[in-house]
Amino acid sequence: MKKIFSLETLKNLGGFVVSMIILLIIWSLVSYITKNEIPGPKATWLVFKEMMADPFYDYGPNDKGIGVQLFSSIKRVLMGFLLGSIFAIPIGILMGSSKIAMKIINPIVQVLRPVSPLAWFPLGLLAFKAADGATVFIIAITSLWPTLINTAFGVSNIPNDHKNVGKAFGFSKWRYISRILIPFSLPHIITGLRLSIGIAWMVIVAGEMLSGGVGIGFFVWDSWNGLSLEKILSAILIIGFVGLILDKIFSGVHTFFEYEAKS
Amino acid sequence: METLEILEKKEKISSTGNCIEIKDLRISFPAKSGKIFTAVKDINLNIKSGEIVSIIGHSGCGKSTIMNSISGLVKPSEGTVIVNGKPVKGPGPDRGIVFQNYSLLPWFSVYRNVYEAVDSVHQEYTKAEKHEWVEKNLEMVNLLQHKDKLPSQLSGGMKQRTAIARAFAINPSVLLLDEPFGALDALTKSALHVELLKIWNLNHRKQTIVMVTHDIEEAIFLSDRVVVMNDGPEATIREIVHIPIERPRNKKEIVHTKTYMDVHDKLLSLLVKNLSIEDAGVAYE
Repeated sequence: MKKIFSLETLKNLGGFVVSMIILLIIWSLVSYITKNEIPGPKATWLVFKEMMADPFYDYGPNDKGIGVQLFSSIKRVLMGFLLGSIFAIPIGILMGSSKIAMKIINPIVQVLRPVSPLAWFPLGLLAFKAADGATVFIIAITSLWPTLINTAFGVSNIPNDHKNVGKAFGFSKWRYISRILIPFSLPHIITGLRLSIGIAWMVIVAGEMLSGGVGIGFFVWDSWNGLSLEKILSAILIIGFVGLILDKIFSGVHTFFEYEAKS
Repeated sequence: METLEILEKKEKISSTGNCIEIKDLRISFPAKSGKIFTAVKDINLNIKSGEIVSIIGHSGCGKSTIMNSISGLVKPSEGTVIVNGKPVKGPGPDRGIVFQNYSLLPWFSVYRNVYEAVDSVHQEYTKAEKHEWVEKNLEMVNLLQHKDKLPSQLSGGMKQRTAIARAFAINPSVLLLDEPFGALDALTKSALHVELLKIWNLNHRKQTIVMVTHDIEEAIFLSDRVVVMNDGPEATIREIVHIPIERPRNKKEIVHTKTYMDVHDKLLSLLVKNLSIEDAGVAYE
């Protein structure tokens, strides 16, 4: 058993605190240089406190609390991310297990992967006839690539030794996939999912700025229209921390599924 | 008792009495340079049912290639390999393989590694029968108390015992061992030799065992015949040496017999050209 308060965790915590202090100092400096045109930490904190006082209020379509905005964003991100992963993992497995599939699919991946989420948006609108569906669509299609590529990489790297075990003991296709292919590739797949959720979370802001309605991206844009830079900065911090938490969740899952690779 | 029945069912020997028949075997691979690399050629070898045969030779002499042609992991370029009267088309559960590097699945426990093989091959068993059978095989290699450990928590010898239990658990009529004890220390190795023969005895010496090795003592102690290979590429069989030592063999006793020493000398001279530095063209000062 690992102790919760070991020296190592204390050091990590200390590093985090120092890092945050440095961030605050830089922020204050920038604020000072721009003569408070960009609000400083203190002014932002006051607005943030106000926002957090009642995060779940809902006064109609254009006036909702930050919590409502945040949760609708997280919901969309998870939907888009799940949708993307549902396609990415099987296609990745296919690419990784067949050289022909790799040769045929890989060029498509390479062409579509660098496309900006914003470029997909009109297509999403056309397909789903709704801004909400379009946002989920662009999250799915821009976040699926790391999962797909990592899955393909993991699967294509299954050692011959493991494959031979399957052959020697007459494993059926399903037994091979569930007992050898997936367990071996799982750490790679999770790394891919971790990168994908990061991208999904980045795309949501851009998506919601275009789609409007409700969400953290819309909130940022709405605050800009209302000229409340403090709200924008608060939102940026919230976006950053939620992103950090999502990443930590997947890195935790990754550690959980990591087996001792040496047999 | 049930075990015996299964063994008997599997024991369908071909009309010639040979369990494995290798005829005019040649195996070539496309090399990186675009040329064709021939690993072994003109291999003719018949192995009787219940016989233990070692294939011995220097590294790269195609020992493992011959082995893989029996297991079905490699296809012959020419010639045929017949096991139990049927040409080998691919790997099958009538042949149990113990791989050189154990090849346990690192994400499964010892028990699960064996269980997956049993579950895959013996689909006619009930769940309880499978469980019982796995435990019995683990008990045979003395690993029952370590059954929940992951391969990464095992010593080399324990990993190899797991691999042996897994190979025996599918009740193969042929057991193929590819340098099974190569990575083990001398003491563990000796213990496992005895253990292997013990299991073979428990199964009434019905299983045919083919083993690849580069250890002369190991080959003599375990085998009925030793196949000595020439150096590769295009390796051929140099000679097949009979080991006329009665079973059961006692390791400590047989090493002092004249038969053992003769066979040992013969194998040594077949395998090693330079037996002293004088032979290598260097004179003592």
